[in-house]
Amino acid sequence: MAQPAIEINGLAKRYGEGDAAVDALKGVDMMIQPGEVVGLIGPSGSGKSTLLKCLGAVIEPTSGRMALAGKAIYDNGWKVTDLRALRRDRIGFVFQAPYLIPFLNVTDNVALLPMLAGLPNSQAREQARQMLAALDVGHRTQAQVRQLSGGEQQRVSIARALVNEPPIVLADEPTAPLDSERALTVIRILNQMAQRFQTAIIVVTHDEKIIPTFKRLYHIRDGRTFEAAGEGRAA
Amino acid sequence: MINLAARDILHGWGKFVFTGVGLGLLIGVTLSMAGIYRGLVDDGKALLAIGGADLWVVQRDTLGPYAEPSSVRDDAYRSLLGIPGVAAAGNVTYLTMQIEHARGEVRVMLVGFQPGHPGEPGYLVAGRPITRSHYEAIADMRSGLSLNERIRIRRHEYIVVGLTRRMVSSGGDPMLFVPLKDAQEVQFLKDNDALVNERARSAANPAFNRPGVPGLLEAVQASQTNSHQVNVVLLRLAPDADETRVAEQIRRWKHLEAYTRADMDEILVAKLIATSARQIFMFLVILSVVSATIVAFIIYTMTLNKVREIAVLKLIGARNRTIALMILQQALGLGVIGFIVGRTAAALWAPIFPKYVLLLPGDAVRGALLVLLICALASVVAIRAALRVDPAAAIGG
Ligand SMILES: Nc1ncnc2c1ncn2[C@@H]1O[C@H](COP(=O)(O)OP(=O)(O)O)[C@@H](O)[C@H]1O
Ligand SMILES: [Mg+2]
Repeated sequence: MAQPAIEINGLAKRYGEGDAAVDALKGVDMMIQPGEVVGLIGPSGSGKSTLLKCLGAVIEPTSGRMALAGKAIYDNGWKVTDLRALRRDRIGFVFQAPYLIPFLNVTDNVALLPMLAGLPNSQAREQARQMLAALDVGHRTQAQVRQLSGGEQQRVSIARALVNEPPIVLADEPTAPLDSERALTVIRILNQMAQRFQTAIIVVTHDEKIIPTFKRLYHIRDGRTFEAAGEGRAA
Repeated sequence: MINLAARDILHGWGKFVFTGVGLGLLIGVTLSMAGIYRGLVDDGKALLAIGGADLWVVQRDTLGPYAEPSSVRDDAYRSLLGIPGVAAAGNVTYLTMQIEHARGEVRVMLVGFQPGHPGEPGYLVAGRPITRSHYEAIADMRSGLSLNERIRIRRHEYIVVGLTRRMVSSGGDPMLFVPLKDAQEVQFLKDNDALVNERARSAANPAFNRPGVPGLLEAVQASQTNSHQVNVVLLRLAPDADETRVAEQIRRWKHLEAYTRADMDEILVAKLIATSARQIFMFLVILSVVSATIVAFIIYTMTLNKVREIAVLKLIGARNRTIALMILQQALGLGVIGFIVGRTAAALWAPIFPKYVLLLPGDAVRGALLVLLICALASVVAIRAALRVDPAAAIGG
């Protein structure tokens, strides 16, 4: 069997010290295969964002192990020296809101990532246009961000997360501001992209509308994860 | 890689250009202040060039005739002519006064000179030199007087026969040249009432009005009303004469002070203009601080408005350097717009300043560098704020 895209064992994260210490993650175990879209659900304050930030290499866990495609990135300490390059090349991010850069047009919002990775502008833009086309917003490449509808903006932000073809994508409540139809569309897109690029996608959500779409779910409560089978209904 | 700073500026160019223009007007004022200082120095140099003099002979222990009052007897020039190396000498008086003309009043520096001697206005842009010994005048264009205009100075009417250009006092007042005798009368003679008054007082003074000494009172009164003083004797030296040697001789033997052109330069720039220069320097410092504050404030607010974008940029892998560079470039962009607007504004409004504004290219270059330096420093606060932005902030809490 192929290497799991994401493998997490006994991950813990403590904020603060002494009396003020908060154990946000106490023992997280996860395993996600390439091309899989899993839901991560739990009540507010359960540690969802903390887990995403650890996996996204923007905060440092306290202990445990995280591996991407079989390679440890954290094992009671970072195993990668350049976390910035790790985020840029191997992790895609989708946020609650599109968070596009308002002063760049659609193409450059997406092309920025390959450019940051050192690709020449023309090549980066070509890559961006292809990804935008894959997300059905190929006709808006020259538009300014403010000219797009909310749904189009979310597609562009997904294109940005995928343009470097990272093995994993972390989506933080990506459907929160959307109505039911649009929310399901986003999930359908994420599923299609996971299939197409063999990306492992974790979707943090408490959105009842989309929970039934996941084949597999992780519940997180009080800093610990529990795996559950989902309904896997087509979005 | 695309230039993020330029894209951001183009996206919100209205605010940016508006700020740049405001900054530019400040920079324009700053450049004008520097120009006014340069104008003062240049006016001083022009002042020294007017009479074609090599030495200025003034009253002992004074910094005359421009920086301090000086009084020299008007027959001193004869003995000065006897000193080896002195080729020509001319008596000159200076008096700043208000005169009236057809269209109003003007403040001028009345210069009394002897035609054909050092101290006469060299180059006329219109009219002719003074040929009569009384009541003719040569005016600088700055005074607003025109050829053949009649003006009243104290008790007499003068006619303007010639015009000069760039002949102004160290204070920037245009010069009005008149024959020496007329100027002496204006400067040293009192009006009729004062005259009568003084005579009566002398007559009442027993020391001057002694019964046993006939003619004493008349002699005293005559000496009081005579005006045999000038402010400076200008000397032109023979080509092979050593000016410092001649000056030394005058100091030693004639009980007068003698200044070379270099001495006068030093007196005008280091002493007379020094206060103005300090004043202008103060303005430069204040304007620089104000400009820096404006740039810092604008760049800082622009950055704070972009905190979320900066967090996203960091999260997706932008270097701190990339973000710092973006902010620095925006600050410098503001500086460039400001400088262009400022330089243009300074050039446009220079002619309507009452004082001479001399905009030197060197000052513009120094100004541009200073503006860029100030903008760079002003961006530091914003850059620090941007570097503190946590990439984790892009992920919801
Ligand atoms: N930076 C922080 N410092 C201290 N405590 C934190 C910090 N971030 C989150 N926490 C705490 O960790 C716990 C988990 O938070 P979070 O991961 O944001 O949960 P969720 O995203 O599921 O709502 C909460 O109790 C929260 O108060
Ligand atoms: Mg959260």
